[in-house]
Amino acid sequence: MPSTFGLSGGRIGTIGWQLRVCYDAPVIEEFQQVLWALNTVTGTLLLVLLVVRKNYRAYSAFTFYIFFNLLLGIFVFVIYRLRGGASMAYWRFAWGMQAVAVGARAVAVAEVCRHFLSRFPGIWALAKRLLLVCVGLVLAYSGLAARHSWNLAVSGADRALELSIAAVIVVLFLFTRYYDIPLESTDQSVAVGFFLYSCFYALDNTLLERYLNSFAALCSALGMLAFFASLSLWSWALRKSRVPISSEEVLLPMGVYQTLTPQINLRLHSLNDQLCKILKPEVPRL
Amino acid sequence: MSLSFILFFGFIAVLLFGLGWALWMPRLRSELRRDPRSLEESSRRHVAYLPQIRQALSEVDHVFLSKKTSREVQLRFRKERRRVVLAYLSALRGDFQSLLRMARLIALLSPEVAAVHEYERLRLTAKFFWRYQMIRWKLLAGLAPVPQLDGLSDLVSSLSVRMEAAIKELGERAAIAAELASSLNRRGLDSI
Repeated sequence: MPSTFGLSGGRIGTIGWQLRVCYDAPVIEEFQQVLWALNTVTGTLLLVLLVVRKNYRAYSAFTFYIFFNLLLGIFVFVIYRLRGGASMAYWRFAWGMQAVAVGARAVAVAEVCRHFLSRFPGIWALAKRLLLVCVGLVLAYSGLAARHSWNLAVSGADRALELSIAAVIVVLFLFTRYYDIPLESTDQSVAVGFFLYSCFYALDNTLLERYLNSFAALCSALGMLAFFASLSLWSWALRKSRVPISSEEVLLPMGVYQTLTPQINLRLHSLNDQLCKILKPEVPRL
Repeated sequence: MSLSFILFFGFIAVLLFGLGWALWMPRLRSELRRDPRSLEESSRRHVAYLPQIRQALSEVDHVFLSKKTSREVQLRFRKERRRVVLAYLSALRGDFQSLLRMARLIALLSPEVAAVHEYERLRLTAKFFWRYQMIRWKLLAGLAPVPQLDGLSDLVSSLSVRMEAAIKELGERAAIAAELASSLNRRGLDSI
């Protein structure tokens, strides 16, 4: 069985890559087997919680993501048993499913973003644009920083996507802090879970790319552990039914923003100019 | 270790720091959020003491004391004066923050916001706090001029007053608009 086999948030792609680059993949350790089983059990528990607490209504994309991961684990297990870990069929399936898993995660993150901000249409429209720009920048950065090799292209793209997911979540939290937006604790925990996993995955992937032979087993075990941490966080957060703060806020008339904001900005500008003058000492010192 | 590798870890570190900072919430912040009255009250509180602060900063007192008292008393006077100015500066910052909170609230509750205005405010806020810290450090080091702080407080108070006036005006306009809309509706109903 490959070292990273199992329910681990789409980590299966790394398996395929490992098997391509290094066919003498390390023998799986007991610890990883335990983690695989643990992740499967926790994932199932989370899915049950989502259904029992009726949270699947609010988190439909997230529920699909968890369900897909569980299904993926089972499929990989079956294919591995039938074709073996080094087969081309296994490799193709692994990467194909990896793309779907990352896509499902991105949609689930978009759903969390909507929960955070959609009550405020003006800010939500602005945030959407900002988050898209952020994704574009991170993807561009990852593309420039990555090693330009065809062997590593897929894993590089995968890492770039994970990095952009992590960046989007951070920007989202910064946005809510800047505007003092009250957050629902479940949404917050789901977002932090995604961030931790995406961040760790990107790190893990980079280490694997650099030090494949020496750290492959350790990295995959840590990756599974990170996913277990995220699953536990999500299960804890979703143990109760989600109570939305309020469906819609009472909005101000259109003209308020257009009238007041330029005026405020103008005054802030003059205030800054005054501060500049204060910095220039002209009178006796204290 | 290559540069891109270091940059990559740097980026991850920045992300972790950003998340930590965004999730960290000081007690004062959460208290202010819970109390909606803080928006109205805090913006007026410190500006109300402006004449007393001006008196405390008066150069006449300093000249008088330098002629009549010992060096020790003068030093104590300077120390006290610096303490007062620092406290006032901190209060002004509070006033500034409450005005900003009001601006953010308006943006939050608006059906449409302009990215240009939001970016401009973010930039100005960053500039203000940077300069505020510079002045504070200079004051602490005994390098900053005191009387020019008057200009700063004037600006904050004038901003507060203008905003109040603008909000009042908008309230009146909204009432007129609502009245117009209801009369138009009535006309529409009448014609049917």
